[in-house]
Amino acid sequence: MSDFDMRPDADSEWEALLNQLRTQPSAQPRPFFYGRVQARLAAEASRPWLPGWVRRPAYAVLLGALVLALSGDNAAFASAAAPAAATAPASR
Amino acid sequence: MLPLTSDSPACAQVPTLAVDADADLVAQLQGGSEAAFRTLVDRYQGQVYRTAYSLLRNPEEAEDVAQEVFVEVYQTIARFRGEASLSTWLYRLATSRALKNCRRARAKKRFAFLTSLLGFDNKALHEPPDHAHPQALLEGQQQLQLLLAHIARLPEQQQVAFTLRHEQELSYEQIAAVLDTTVAAVESLLFRARQTLRKHVKPSFRHV
Repeated sequence: MSDFDMRPDADSEWEALLNQLRTQPSAQPRPFFYGRVQARLAAEASRPWLPGWVRRPAYAVLLGALVLALSGDNAAFASAAAPAAATAPASR
Repeated sequence: MLPLTSDSPACAQVPTLAVDADADLVAQLQGGSEAAFRTLVDRYQGQVYRTAYSLLRNPEEAEDVAQEVFVEVYQTIARFRGEASLSTWLYRLATSRALKNCRRARAKKRFAFLTSLLGFDNKALHEPPDHAHPQALLEGQQQLQLLLAHIARLPEQQQVAFTLRHEQELSYEQIAAVLDTTVAAVESLLFRARQTLRKHVKPSFRHV
């Protein structure tokens, strides 16, 4: 424990400090708060509904690349397999 | 609006009236009343703002969080089933959003530190400016600033419990409802918070 706790008047000092915390000037929002909330609601309503990550170009490009990579596999295999089969020499 | 703790019959009726008034307000909000939303904002803006401010210590961020809370209330009031009181729900929204802001700010600070170490930007790292006049930083005020700095470093649950208790002056039961825990758990959180804070905040003015 610190010096603070060992001293006999520590409790009263601690209470005084807590009292100071309690009696700080009360924080208040700036005037016309309701107007700003309304403006925010209007902005939210006009925003197209999309998840945040979709609206970031980097993520959108990455997603596109991933879709292309995954969807391209079967087509590439199929097109590679077809000519190979067509040109393969007959087995003896 | 906090329920009063007095035992007098007159005071005992006040929380019931407040709860009834809130129930009416919620019913009107769920019916889509614009006037009810305005009443809600007028009634609770101080509580929500003060709660956010006590965790963030920044007027702009507290304003932002308070606005977000009311927007969320507007958008999700249809799903409010009244398991907790309206006031408790608002405290929950305000504390969780304020803590989220704190986490985001800490992550941003860490990222800025990392990028500065790696030399990705040449901007100098700096702490937010302290606009307090030197003469205003009297000894008592310094102790308070020190206390606030250490409150901000407490674990999240302790920080919320401590500020709700000592700044918003909520009862243990109300804090338990906000944190969705038991009164015993709140007592434990407050005990540990006080212990940590008393260890770090030493009144220097009597040492000379």
